[in-house]
Amino acid sequence: MRNRIFVHALCVALLNLASPQAAQAALVGTLQAVEASGTRAQDLAIVNSALAREQVRGQMEAMGVDPSAVDARIARLTDSELRSLADRMEQMPAGGDALAVIGIVFVILIILELVGVIDIFKKT
Amino acid sequence: MPASTVNRGRAWAVLALLLALLLLVGCAAPSRLAQLPAELPERVELAATPFYPQTGYQCGPAALATVLGAAGRNVDPAALANEVYLPGRQGSLQPEIAAAARARGLLAYETGPSLSDLLAEVAAGRPALVLQQLGAGPWPYWHYAVVIGYDKVLGKVLLRSGTDERQVLRASVFEATWHRGGNWGLVLLEPGTMPAQPEPARYMSAAAALETAGNPGAAKVAYAAAAGHWPRAPLPRLGLGNLAAAAGDWAAAERWYRAVLADDPAQAAALNNRAEALVRLGCPDAARLLLQQGTVHVAADDPLQPVLQQTVRDLSAQAAAVPAGAAVECTQFTVR
Repeated sequence: MRNRIFVHALCVALLNLASPQAAQAALVGTLQAVEASGTRAQDLAIVNSALAREQVRGQMEAMGVDPSAVDARIARLTDSELRSLADRMEQMPAGGDALAVIGIVFVILIILELVGVIDIFKKT
Repeated sequence: MPASTVNRGRAWAVLALLLALLLLVGCAAPSRLAQLPAELPERVELAATPFYPQTGYQCGPAALATVLGAAGRNVDPAALANEVYLPGRQGSLQPEIAAAARARGLLAYETGPSLSDLLAEVAAGRPALVLQQLGAGPWPYWHYAVVIGYDKVLGKVLLRSGTDERQVLRASVFEATWHRGGNWGLVLLEPGTMPAQPEPARYMSAAAALETAGNPGAAKVAYAAAAGHWPRAPLPRLGLGNLAAAAGDWAAAERWYRAVLADDPAQAAALNNRAEALVRLGCPDAARLLLQQGTVHVAADDPLQPVLQQTVRDLSAQAAAVPAGAAVECTQFTVR
């Protein structure tokens, strides 16, 4: 009996999932058209954005984002942003990174600074 | 030869090698600030730009608060940290920075990759959020700052950066660090305002992202401005059509799609969406005819071909389902 109720509930849930998409499936969205007009190969777009969303959610939680804030942060991102985050969240430049300055590294940095390649030391 | 002389000689050799490597990398290239277009003013400083000193690793929230404040949205950097800061990376990522601005109804436009693209926005009164890579080689150090001005003659770039309210940076140093940061610059515009040097694809992806941010009204204003700026471009009018469709106004949507196709019949998205609009208006025969005549114009390798083919299949499947007594006169769509 319990199983049957579960199956019924599942069917209803699946039907609900399917119906709103059917109404909009035929239109090409503006963002989708913008991406398609780019020169890049578009196999990328086939990657399931729902999957990317779940990957980004998992990574954000692992990176210490407050779980109550994760949903709102993900909802703001476009599909292509979600896909690139899902792929490269660990490698993407994160402005604000720490700098490990130890011994010889420090010396090299000073040389680079004096030569004008980098600019990490405060001048007054 | 005494040992100390040998050591000193070796030290000089190491230094010379290091310098040679640096020259090879090309870091000593002269600044291009002197070669900026003549129409850019000689000297700009957006002195009224607010300043939020960075705390800890939070240069992302601080720089974001700076450009938001300049765009008339006063937000506390501490509140922004909950929206963009990633504790695990001790930093903030570019897409989340842009998304936080979009959520406040602003168009987050990525500037072009050249220094003149970036500084043209600053000259137009918009401080630019930039990503710099201040470290080198195996010690990368990513940093967000805000360009608030430049001086062509002195060869300097002015920034709000970290705890420095008015950083004066040699232009060559700024260029090198900005270049290693990927030449990424972001300016925030009130929807309806065009960037100083707008590029259609970057502008339209920023405008369409406003829809994702739950701001269709702002997206509409941005599309309309683009349609005025590039009257023959397909995407702004496609966007206006899609917003009309989302609001249930299929007649207006059909008119926008039709206008796009009149200028360029190869636009797969407009073709597909116009067919859908015609079906919604109760004219599936007109939709079928449109696709029959229109699909020949679309390139075989168009990335939207699969969607278009699906629409063709859907339409032939529901051939019998013609609603009786359609609300509109369908023949108007089949004659040009």
